[in-house]
Amino acid sequence: MSVDMAELSKVTVTSRPAPGTTMGRALRAEWTKLRTSPGTLGLLLAVVAGTTGLSATVAAACSGGTCGADVALTGVQLGQAVVAILAVLAIGNEYSTGMFTVTLTAMPRRLPVLVGKAVVVAAMVAAAAAVAVAGSVVAGEILLPAYHATFRPAAGSVLYLVLIALLSLGIATAVRSPAAAIGTVLTVLYAVPIIVSVVTDPVWHDRFEKYSPVSAGLAVQATGPDPLIGPWKGLGVLALWTLAALLAGAILLKRRDA
Amino acid sequence: MILVNGIRKRFGAAVALDGMTFEVRPGQVTGFVGPNGAGKSTTMRVILGLDRPDAGQALVEGKPYRELADPMRHLGSLLDAGALQPSRTARNHLLWLAHSQGLGARRVDEVLEQTGLGGVARRRAGGFSLGMRQRLGIAAALLGDPPALMLDEPFNGMDPEGIIWMRGFLRSLAGQGRAVLVSSHLMGELQGTADHVIVVGRGRVIADASVAELLNSASSGRITVRTESPEAPGILAAAGATAAPTGDGGLSITGLPAERIAEVLHRHGVTFSELAAHRATLEDAYLELTRDAVEFRAEGPR
Repeated sequence: MSVDMAELSKVTVTSRPAPGTTMGRALRAEWTKLRTSPGTLGLLLAVVAGTTGLSATVAAACSGGTCGADVALTGVQLGQAVVAILAVLAIGNEYSTGMFTVTLTAMPRRLPVLVGKAVVVAAMVAAAAAVAVAGSVVAGEILLPAYHATFRPAAGSVLYLVLIALLSLGIATAVRSPAAAIGTVLTVLYAVPIIVSVVTDPVWHDRFEKYSPVSAGLAVQATGPDPLIGPWKGLGVLALWTLAALLAGAILLKRRDA
Repeated sequence: MILVNGIRKRFGAAVALDGMTFEVRPGQVTGFVGPNGAGKSTTMRVILGLDRPDAGQALVEGKPYRELADPMRHLGSLLDAGALQPSRTARNHLLWLAHSQGLGARRVDEVLEQTGLGGVARRRAGGFSLGMRQRLGIAAALLGDPPALMLDEPFNGMDPEGIIWMRGFLRSLAGQGRAVLVSSHLMGELQGTADHVIVVGRGRVIADASVAELLNSASSGRITVRTESPEAPGILAAAGATAAPTGDGGLSITGLPAERIAEVLHRHGVTFSELAAHRATLEDAYLELTRDAVEFRAEGPR
């Protein structure tokens, strides 16, 4: 078989490396991916609508003045479910459609892929959460006589939602099936706090309250006196859970066949 | 270009690859053929670093695929045309892939035109027929203008027009000096397309030969001659051939090439109305080679 040398050299000349680092390209690719997924915009809007809507509803119901100021950010407890779904789908959709093999063919170094997804999801969720929390604060100012906006619960709530998103991403990376991942995350978000609340032994109840991801994380919203765990410390506990989930996801992703 | 060396891979108790070894050379279409379960897809997944082999290695341009900085500029591949998010448009699917290789939107539009998808670029890929998805997969494989391409069953789901397009396309890619590896479980699909064939069964290579060699080996040199002459068998036997009547007025001859038979008969003044060499099809050659390698064979009625 004769080879047209002119054509052959053309092929090799054009395949010189393009600019950019592996990490930079992974970030750009993941950004394009999430941006062009039609579900993303809707979910981000749902984060804002769900969080602000629930916060405003609760604040309006409490306008008699019977509630404490901390109800102003109640909507975060709804927004977290939407944030979790968005983060789970960011990788779960790829597992369920088989597209993840295409991703890993394009970017065979797997850690940058996960880091890219984490950064992009965190950035999008942070933006939506900031709007959502701002909306809740405004609703509180208008509807709750006892409420005065303070920095820590508001900023902490944004960080809380970002951490929940990353926790969900880590879990979804580990378990692969989006349904299983969403089930696991919703259990962590809603079932665990219920179980903790019915533990009767006071020592164990306090321990769970301080070290389970959601109750510890939500301590950052506390405005009342004498919390079980300090607000930033509580958020730190959630951050450790998130780190553990991402690490578990990363290790499994690196070790197993795609 | 692509070098596969002694790859072994087990999934639990099942041996998927059992010392798979071959090489894919530039400037030709190499067919990668074997029955279902022979290990074709697993081999491709190992080449791409998706599955880790238990032993052996696969190299693309001398390097493991995972170590290539922008792998799609070295090896373009299509494993599963359905592996995409159905809600994303064709163009956006290619766009994120381009970005992952440091390429831009202009290259995306080029490959869309090249594969005839320009008109449907902004439609959701989920609405595409399998044939259109195959084209989209080919477009993705071409993004990095790679010197080597690897396609798993690209003819699947294509209509006759699509198959003709695909054949011409594969030929032109090889004509540009690229190495093209194409898997199929139907040898017939590769006749007229592949220059070289690697036949696999039970996780290893059964035959690695040019299409011409493969056809010759399967043809067994049998030639039929149609003649009225009663002396013909004797004359041919004297020249060193074995002649047996076929039952319908012809002679089936082995032991001499067609040119020699014609010459001998001519020299003895024997007239004949037909002289045909039995050419095996690629399919015949393949069936002969894989007879023992088919994992699940239907048994006759008992």
